[in-house]
Amino acid sequence: MVFNTLTFVAFFAIVLALHSLRLGWTTKKVNLLLASYVFYAAWNPPFILLLWISTVVDWYAAQGLVRAEGKAKRRAWMLVSVVANLGMLLYFKYGSFLLGNFTALLASFGVDYRPPAPDIVLPVGISFYTFATMSYTLDIYLRRAAPARSFLDYALFVTFFPHLVAGPIMRPTELVPQFEVPRRASAQQLAFGLGLMTLGLFNKVVLADTLLSGAAERVFDGGRAPGMLDAWIGTLAFSGQIFCDFAGYSTTAIGAALCLGFAMPDNFRFPYAAVGFSDFWRRWHITLSSWLRDYLYIPLGGNRHGPLRTAAALMGTMLLGGLWHGAAWTFVVWGGLHGTYLVVERGLRARFAAWQPGPVALFALGLLTYALVNLTWVFFRAKDFPTAWQVLRGMTGFNGDARPILATAFVAIVTAVVAGLLAAHWYMRERTLESVVARAPPTLVAVLWGVMAFAIVISQGTGNAFIYFQF
Amino acid sequence: MRLTAADRPGVAQPVPVRDVPPLPWPRLLLAALLLAVTLTAAWEACWRSQGAVPAFRDDAALWTLQRDRIDRGEGDATVLVGSSRSFFDVQLPVWERLGGRRPVQLSLVGTSPLFALEDLADDPEFRGALLVDVAPDLFFTGFENKSGFAEYRAKQSPSERVGKWLSMTFVEPYLAFYHEDYALFPVLRRQPWPQRPGVRGLTAVRRLEVIGRDRATHMWARVEDDPEYRELTRRIWTERFQGRPGGPDGATPGQVADRQVARAAAAVAKLRARGVHVLFVRHPTGGDYLAFERRAFPRTTTWDPLLARTGAPGIHFEDHPGLEAGLEFPEWSHMSRASAERYTERLYRLIEREHPRPDGRRW
Repeated sequence: MVFNTLTFVAFFAIVLALHSLRLGWTTKKVNLLLASYVFYAAWNPPFILLLWISTVVDWYAAQGLVRAEGKAKRRAWMLVSVVANLGMLLYFKYGSFLLGNFTALLASFGVDYRPPAPDIVLPVGISFYTFATMSYTLDIYLRRAAPARSFLDYALFVTFFPHLVAGPIMRPTELVPQFEVPRRASAQQLAFGLGLMTLGLFNKVVLADTLLSGAAERVFDGGRAPGMLDAWIGTLAFSGQIFCDFAGYSTTAIGAALCLGFAMPDNFRFPYAAVGFSDFWRRWHITLSSWLRDYLYIPLGGNRHGPLRTAAALMGTMLLGGLWHGAAWTFVVWGGLHGTYLVVERGLRARFAAWQPGPVALFALGLLTYALVNLTWVFFRAKDFPTAWQVLRGMTGFNGDARPILATAFVAIVTAVVAGLLAAHWYMRERTLESVVARAPPTLVAVLWGVMAFAIVISQGTGNAFIYFQF
Repeated sequence: MRLTAADRPGVAQPVPVRDVPPLPWPRLLLAALLLAVTLTAAWEACWRSQGAVPAFRDDAALWTLQRDRIDRGEGDATVLVGSSRSFFDVQLPVWERLGGRRPVQLSLVGTSPLFALEDLADDPEFRGALLVDVAPDLFFTGFENKSGFAEYRAKQSPSERVGKWLSMTFVEPYLAFYHEDYALFPVLRRQPWPQRPGVRGLTAVRRLEVIGRDRATHMWARVEDDPEYRELTRRIWTERFQGRPGGPDGATPGQVADRQVARAAAAVAKLRARGVHVLFVRHPTGGDYLAFERRAFPRTTTWDPLLARTGAPGIHFEDHPGLEAGLEFPEWSHMSRASAERYTERLYRLIEREHPRPDGRRW
């Protein structure tokens, strides 16, 4: 079920009504669990089995971990979880990719191997919930957390519908304790939660789908070489679209959870105001980047073994992070570019440790960061390398004779939206939404809220899935 | 700043804290709701003042609902596939009055119908009769922008089914502004922006139709009654009278048409092998549109080879002068509502007389 659909509106109204009834806490949790399964089954009912497998395997692996004596047994239980989850991920997400690459490898040796095309459907959100369940076992293995006392609380942690299919990727220690005591949203939380949901849906439906996606599609999917203006407008449009789409989802999810009385962590912190790439990754998809840091980068050695090992750990983490986003080499290049940026930035920071940039330099570095991030978005958005090179050539002025692609309306709308987005991010750089809203005149808040809701209605979104669902 | 997991490396993350800004949120919610409802009502009034009426939204889900009828007990039905001509010009209520059964309307606006023909050819449940509308500038150019509908039907999720039901029950019958022509982006797009040199921008086709629950369609009254709007729709067609396009792979227009005919022949062969009665129809058009079609798609290189290669019978309006007598084509491509009703009756009687179904059933 997608947040920006009538089905979700009806579903959420029923869930809210059930959750506000005078029922026992366990009954309410069972309701939420069943609702979450309905939420997931609304895409493709059979894939609930995968969700159950992931849930049950990690529950028993964690139990085994607690009972295990000795390092080897503990490691074995941890590996049960990792192998089961990554195995599902490998088969469903990377099966076709691996087979394709294997076939290409054989072909390069002159072997004509033609396996039947695998017809594998990617279960929605599998990358998210497998990471959530793995963090449960890994936290226990790393002795950072105790296992959940109740299977119901644990299953609800895995399945809780606001975060189930596209995050924020929750850690068990963030959510399981919230299920242990009865929670119900106050009127303040409920109304503010609905406000967050409106803001999230405005980002998704109005900004991402209505105002930005068309320009990106024309440039990246039109099959024509773009000139410099078109290439930049198409890429800037995608940079805005991917942020508004994904941050919109996270904001809606956080709002939905708040309406039910639960708190979820921030997943974005105005990333286009980042100065440098370590700053960017502390602001973009925070729950994934911190997951990769805690369970991959640090175990790979982190920054504890000298500059070379640190660089290798950074590159490894970012390459796998790229692959997490999609089974294609373009995503690996996207991750590789970010890894390279991080390594170079680390070197520069060491070299110029004493330098404190002034406001102008800070702003210039922010713009440079944003421009370099945009180069990576080209690989993220392009369906293949020829398309990516074509757009990059356009951005660097090498498609001199290209015919214009985008009409004035697209250029003007994208420029206005992206400029507004950048200004908002820069203004919000050291602030939170809540702190700004708290100081705003209530009338202005109500008017903006009403106008956003109106814009969502008249945009007539067709329930386009969020981009990150495919990951 | 609120701390996040980014600020706490390598430790168990604590339960997040979400503060609620100290504002009177329930009252703000009410005020925002009132404002949104007021603005929406004004938006609705604005479109209604321009003649807009509520109608059902012709998306993949609506098409799927009709397509599903074939697999749910109506495999022997009369099915209409084609482009907008059979959508506008064949009136389902008239057909039902004459034939006793309502046909399944699977025509789609602005696209070649070949994918739908192939979809039906691959469905063993379909054993009825098929009326295939041939709009030359779509059929023979292979312009397909809705071929994803068949795939959508195969993969439609329970959530999408419920969503369409909710929309058809609570939204579409009541809100006139819920039409793609009145959505925010198309409205912004058609503002008088300065023309960017070198960009070939075709004006998007404006609203022409009113669609019913089972895709029974007729021309929107404003096209018939408002001379200014009618002129606009004609101008939009004129922009498209640019000759006959080739294929993206460098194929000539003739080669493109040949491929379409080959696809049609393969699909028709499958259908006829199953006993499906296939009849092609070239519905009448008028004004400059007809002149363009005659110029760019002469029947000798399009319609005639289609019938010859498929072996299926066809009705071309030029062969039956009585068929188009006195009909009105307000924007040249489609008939007015009253004309479509008259035309449907004539067409039905002609089909029953000259091309009765071999299985003895009425069309």
